[in-house]
Amino acid sequence: MDSPQERTRTQLGWVTGLTRSLTSAAGITILIAIGVAIVATIDTGPFVLVNSIVTGGMWALMAAGLSLVFGVMNIVNFAHGELFMIGTLVAYLVFKPLTEYLNQNPSRFLTLISPFAGIIAAVIVGAVVGVVMEKLVFYQLRKRTKEQWIMNSFLLTVGISVIIINGTQMIWGADFKGIPHYWDLPGLHFLGVSISVDRAVVFVLGILTMAVFWYFLRRTRTGRAIRAVSQDETGSLMVGIDLNRIQVLTLALSSALAALAGGSLLFLFPSYPTVGLKPLYIAWYIVILVGMGNVAGALVGGFIVALLQTLTSFYIGPGWEDVIPTAIVMVILLIKPSGLFGSVVKGIHEQ
Amino acid sequence: METTETASVRESSDFSSRIRYLASMLGISPLGLATIVVLLLLPFIPPFNQEHLLRWLIGAALIAAQAIAFDFTTGYISVVNFGFAAFLGVGAYTSALLAVNFGITPWLGIFAGAAFAAVLGLLTGILTLRLRGIFVALMSWFVGLALLGLARNLVNITRGPLGLNTPTFLETSSNMPYFYIIVVMMLFTYFVLRWVTNSHIGLAFKAIGQNIDAARASGVNPTYYRVFNFTLSCAFAGWLGGFYAHYYGILTPQIMLTAKTVEVLAIAYVGGRGSIWGGAFVAFPFIFFFEWLRSSLSDLPGLHLVLYGLLLILVMIFYPGGFAQLYYSLRDRWRARRERAGETSAAD
Repeated sequence: MDSPQERTRTQLGWVTGLTRSLTSAAGITILIAIGVAIVATIDTGPFVLVNSIVTGGMWALMAAGLSLVFGVMNIVNFAHGELFMIGTLVAYLVFKPLTEYLNQNPSRFLTLISPFAGIIAAVIVGAVVGVVMEKLVFYQLRKRTKEQWIMNSFLLTVGISVIIINGTQMIWGADFKGIPHYWDLPGLHFLGVSISVDRAVVFVLGILTMAVFWYFLRRTRTGRAIRAVSQDETGSLMVGIDLNRIQVLTLALSSALAALAGGSLLFLFPSYPTVGLKPLYIAWYIVILVGMGNVAGALVGGFIVALLQTLTSFYIGPGWEDVIPTAIVMVILLIKPSGLFGSVVKGIHEQ
Repeated sequence: METTETASVRESSDFSSRIRYLASMLGISPLGLATIVVLLLLPFIPPFNQEHLLRWLIGAALIAAQAIAFDFTTGYISVVNFGFAAFLGVGAYTSALLAVNFGITPWLGIFAGAAFAAVLGLLTGILTLRLRGIFVALMSWFVGLALLGLARNLVNITRGPLGLNTPTFLETSSNMPYFYIIVVMMLFTYFVLRWVTNSHIGLAFKAIGQNIDAARASGVNPTYYRVFNFTLSCAFAGWLGGFYAHYYGILTPQIMLTAKTVEVLAIAYVGGRGSIWGGAFVAFPFIFFFEWLRSSLSDLPGLHLVLYGLLLILVMIFYPGGFAQLYYSLRDRWRARRERAGETSAAD
């Protein structure tokens, strides 16, 4: 941190450093996104911006989890959306009885707290499902063969996704399980638009989780180990990192993040078996946009894709918000398969 | 090994060996021929001559044919076309729209559908050229999603989720003729793709699928073969989509869902990667079993799909070769035992 070069750079070169990072593909993308956001805000009013910022945080978390799993385990996770669905389902199953109980025995404090119970339960169940997935499925395949690992593990996640979707449908049915809102409070006023408390809380929760997640990856011992594995598996084995533990942890973490997104967005996405499909697409758009395995980029990319979708559905019409981002993502895949922000992930060109 | 065998057979001008060469190129073994005969007679054998069972048979044959076309890409060039169902849908929509708007007979329309799907397959093949492995799967998935989005949103052409009412091939309400149409389509798909994979082209496919750089180094042009493979596979997908449109009589964007691709994928993998016939063979008992499960346990919707997923995972982990490998290993064991019985002196 405090090496001489570091200090000189901070003293002398921060302007050049800034210009350099702003003229990179990542910088240009972010600048364009900010520009578009400003233009759209002037054109349509601030609600476009507010809408994309609110959900963007949660998409960023989904994408970060997806990216992390790809970086550490080389798994292209098709079942990530199903963890979102599990999040919505658990949050609903916990929150709904709680509200009914609280309707009979009113308690102001508990009413404020109860949504968090649902969200926390969602996170815990998500993590457990992640562990089960790793132990029962991926570990079994890894133990047997690593040949064509990326493709085979991808197909395994496809199978997991089918099982989770239809398993939930079998047990809990295919009806919409939604709630009108978490907090029955008047909306907050911000930039002249009214934001519901739910959205505001989700936004804060997203930012907080991002910060914690970031701190965990950058500053803690386990976080460093995770990054080490994603950079060089053999090397990290040599310095004594327990690979199995890191892999279980990574999948649990990623699943917990997806479940968190699901649990906290329950008021926007009522729970039904295939609710995870859309978040899955979005997470994939983000990951392709910024580059597979680039966790930091995913956090920014969440907002960019959310903005893109809000704008598309506003200017072109609802229903098109998947087609346009798909087209853009396809172009990016063609021009720069490693993503706009670039990513260095082992085994990315492995067949 | 197989090619040297067929090449030596080609040199001999004997009629029966020429027949045998043809059969080996088309991938017909005596057992396979017997299976085809049984399949053709199936609608007359008592439990299967009921209309609803015939519908299941038709559904199974459609999935079987798709599994063949799917395995042609997955099993040979090791590229998963994750937007497969979308190409099926493109063929279906092309044929249906031609029939609805211009009154073109479905018999021609399905070929137009195949042609259009082939063009899109060609474009996708070109799009994915620079990409490898998983990126191709993702790209074809995105192409599929984009096509699905178009089918849903171009409401004034496709009527969106409301669906198109499409004219059927025949005016009859009987399922019997349709069964023979789809079986012929399935066999045609099988023979054509088998012919291609048994020729030198199939060898090139396998080389590319195993190691693209090694294949390029030894003079195989991956560009040409990959695009060719994609185009052909998508053409068949579109053609089969035409059957779907003109058999069920209603066409919604549902046909293009990723879940449909997953269904075909599961069958193809359980049947055995790179075998072409495995998926087609497995499709019949499986679709029957799943349909039976669905109709008899209607209070548990989705159970059959859970089993699909479970089976896919189990096969992927514990028996990656699928049913085809099981068959081959049983056949080899049987042959070895017969040889041992023939010459008792040979110990090994």
